[in-house]
Amino acid sequence: MSSSKNLSTSKLVPQKILLVGVVAIFLSANLSFSEDRLRDVIDGHVESAWKTNKLPPLAQSSDGEFARRVYLDLLGVIPNYAEIVAFLDDKSDDKREKLVDKLLNDPRFAGHQAEVWDQVLFGRNPPGYGTDKRSGFQTWLRERFKENTPYDQWVKSILRAEGNTVDDGAPMFFVQYKNKPEDATEAVTQKFLGVQLQCARCHDHPFEPWTQLDFYGTAAFLARLQVVEAGKKNKLPMYVIGEKNLGDVLFTGPVTEQEVGKKGEAVKPKFLQGDPLEEPELPKDFKEDRNFPNGKVPPKPKFSRKDQLAEWIARADNPYFSRAVANRIWAQFMGRGIVHPVDNMSESNEPSHPELLDALAAAMIEHKFDLKWYIRELVNSQSYQLVGSGELEDALPKWFERARTRPLSAEELLDSWNVAVGYEAIQKASGAKPSEDRYAPLGSGYLMQFFGKPNNGVGDFQGGLHEHLYLNNGGIARLLSSAKGGLYDSLVNSEAPWEERVDKLYLSLLSRRPTTEERETFVAFLSDEKDPRTRVGEAIWVLMTCSEFRFNH
Amino acid sequence: MHTMECPTHEHVSRRALLKNTLATAGGGALMNWGSLFNSKATAAEVKKNQKRCILLWMNGGASQFETFDMKIGRPTGGLFREISTNVPGTRVCELMPTIAQNMDKLAVIRSMKTSQIDHPGGIHLMHTGYSQASGIRFPEIGGVIAKYLGSEGSDLPNFIKIFSHGNTGAGFLGPKYQPFSLSPEGRLPSFSTSNLNPVNESRRNALRTFVEDSYASGHKAETARMHREAYDASRRLQNVQGVFKIDGEWDKYRDLYGDSAFGRRCLMARRLIEEGVPFVEVGQSSYDSHADNFVWHRGLLPPMERAWAGLMIDLEQRGLLENTLVVWMGEIGRTPNVNNRSGRDHYVRSWSTALAGCGVKGGLVYGESDENGVDVKDNPVSEGDFFATIYKALGIDPETEHYTGVRPIPIAPFGSKVVNDVLL
Repeated sequence: MSSSKNLSTSKLVPQKILLVGVVAIFLSANLSFSEDRLRDVIDGHVESAWKTNKLPPLAQSSDGEFARRVYLDLLGVIPNYAEIVAFLDDKSDDKREKLVDKLLNDPRFAGHQAEVWDQVLFGRNPPGYGTDKRSGFQTWLRERFKENTPYDQWVKSILRAEGNTVDDGAPMFFVQYKNKPEDATEAVTQKFLGVQLQCARCHDHPFEPWTQLDFYGTAAFLARLQVVEAGKKNKLPMYVIGEKNLGDVLFTGPVTEQEVGKKGEAVKPKFLQGDPLEEPELPKDFKEDRNFPNGKVPPKPKFSRKDQLAEWIARADNPYFSRAVANRIWAQFMGRGIVHPVDNMSESNEPSHPELLDALAAAMIEHKFDLKWYIRELVNSQSYQLVGSGELEDALPKWFERARTRPLSAEELLDSWNVAVGYEAIQKASGAKPSEDRYAPLGSGYLMQFFGKPNNGVGDFQGGLHEHLYLNNGGIARLLSSAKGGLYDSLVNSEAPWEERVDKLYLSLLSRRPTTEERETFVAFLSDEKDPRTRVGEAIWVLMTCSEFRFNH
Repeated sequence: MHTMECPTHEHVSRRALLKNTLATAGGGALMNWGSLFNSKATAAEVKKNQKRCILLWMNGGASQFETFDMKIGRPTGGLFREISTNVPGTRVCELMPTIAQNMDKLAVIRSMKTSQIDHPGGIHLMHTGYSQASGIRFPEIGGVIAKYLGSEGSDLPNFIKIFSHGNTGAGFLGPKYQPFSLSPEGRLPSFSTSNLNPVNESRRNALRTFVEDSYASGHKAETARMHREAYDASRRLQNVQGVFKIDGEWDKYRDLYGDSAFGRRCLMARRLIEEGVPFVEVGQSSYDSHADNFVWHRGLLPPMERAWAGLMIDLEQRGLLENTLVVWMGEIGRTPNVNNRSGRDHYVRSWSTALAGCGVKGGLVYGESDENGVDVKDNPVSEGDFFATIYKALGIDPETEHYTGVRPIPIAPFGSKVVNDVLL
């Protein structure tokens, strides 16, 4: 197995001793802990939790295992044959760190991170009309990652809903919750603050401090939003978010005590667990047009409640904001949040490593929400680079005592299959124009049906019977093309010994060389027949559909 | 969770095991995925009963005024007449003559009072017992039944839908309990059938098994195990493709079920139940009669009621009815007032559902609406009460809990009451 051989030079135990030494020196020199590298701080906390829980230290991942993991996590795709061979053959000590730097500067990094966040903010089946076509938003988000715009800044843009949905993208977020300030409140607090207020919508929360007035106090900030159609552009309806000067959410008390025809009381905006918003009074005789005209950018209100909320949410000293994002990105790379699930940070759902979470949130603030810096520290930690194998059945180990096993997303699967079989090279060799379809050649219909929607929202693995029927019975036949330039062609028409060809097969699909037993088994399978064509196709299919390919581990 | 290997669950009571879930609640959402000691043991205990369930799903919401709760002579009554049934004193709509002759098998609930008035919300509610909530994927009733009444390693999936409505599926129960959906015509979903030469398929499978085994020897994560198990299930499905071919049997049963698409679906459901599938949902669409309510019901009810009665008779003749619960419901009822397009709109303050078989008291009407059918007069039944009753009839404790994170979620919502009066 990949994990049992070729341990990297950085064995854990000596590293740990070294780390303790470093910390001791820093402390004695009266330097603050935060001046230590975050990656070391992470390892210190993770290891001390192992000790507390009497868990044995673990070995580090093999190079192939690490490369595949970090390519998938940073770029959303496995390394191609040339990339993995180059990395495995690199003899330098710091090659992992160099690889991380290279991948963080790869244009695919921005594309993949934007797709991850697009799923956080929209999901596979977003509510609202027109939100399924949001290339404006997706492009805008990709630019944010390309420029490494600080997280607090781009979140502010989303919440202030600046610009339009086609050119700027950001306002598309609120289009999901058109005329539904309560839904918008649930989404905003859950996605950006990591807290769940939905119970408080109908009754005071049974286990948490949230009251119905917390919920409606937050909803009051969003009660005046309107989704306004501002003409068309690039054949897409263009929306902007307008905000009125008047309008309130009405609170009628617990839902069980509701009566037909009972009108609620207007609730004033109040910051979550904080002060009421101070807002200027409107003139007594103020009158407002009932509706914004379509096709025009609406005028700004005299006083924007929404902007006040945006500023408050994304403030560094907001007690929820920095912890929520530090925890969410931690979970993206480490499998589970220190508070898990990541959008339920509450008193009843305690962090597994409270001091580590404090340290991560503090680092996030100190580095001004620089996500690229934060991600670099995470993936350079020893904790991220542990082996993926072991006896533990939990896919997302609570004490991070093994790398997590997470399924590839629909996009990651497609891109990885394409890279493995040389789809791009086949297209080039055939002289065909590159497809503009993000989901070529399998198409988004089947991909979403079998791999996308089953994992919607919560991220649980739902790949059951149906995905195997698709994989077994012809769904991926297009990727087994025998055309010039592809993996299949290069294996069938090679003069090299089968041993070498099997190595290439494994490196192309599983980012590692086969074990001796695997090599022998595959060589026997492939060289058994006069015409190996069918068998090569079958062998590629086997590695395309196996668990080792299906998961990032 | 190593305890799952332990065979002692035979000796442990279910109550004790359910308590055990509280102690292990910190394990997170994954623990529900069929791998936990408590869940498995509970499943083993319940499975002995061999109970089954067929859900007849009236999509769009059939009218209570045109079926079981007519208001003859009242302003809210419709155009149809009432007929007597084989249960003295109980009368139903003239569009259901076959059901009328089998009323002794049915317990009708005339006092449904539920909380979701539109289709998506109602379809979710009446498939799960819960209103939609962001961040929680509630399992459909079929997923719950598949988990507690299904058999491991069966060739047929444990949760089958024919003309599927609702897309919540297994929710947090995990991939093992996902529905397998046939088309309205009973066709298998795309890619269900292998077109490979069996020699090639088994050769390919042997190589794949080698690869999977070598990965599994070092990687024990349960998601990967589920992936392997699902692959095995996809191959086993090839063994039973004949079960889905009903043309031959249809010729014999066409008269009993009535010559309709819904009748064929019901026959398919009976075959699947007989083959050991614990849950089959059969859909009919659409009762959403905002206009021309009476025309729609005149078209939809006769084939439906004929097939429904035929199904119960067929199950009874085979000795299956006493262990097969037949549930009849949609997501909503319809308004007392007839609108200016001769339609009835959505209504959930008072409407009707029905149960039969599997320990249900036949020939019974439970609950009552007021004289115009505007509100429930007696014995209101909430969605939670209805689900609790279904689970109780099937021998599954309605208080059985699953966890998402630290939040306990019973299969019927907290506070639901079993309607014991409709059970034997």
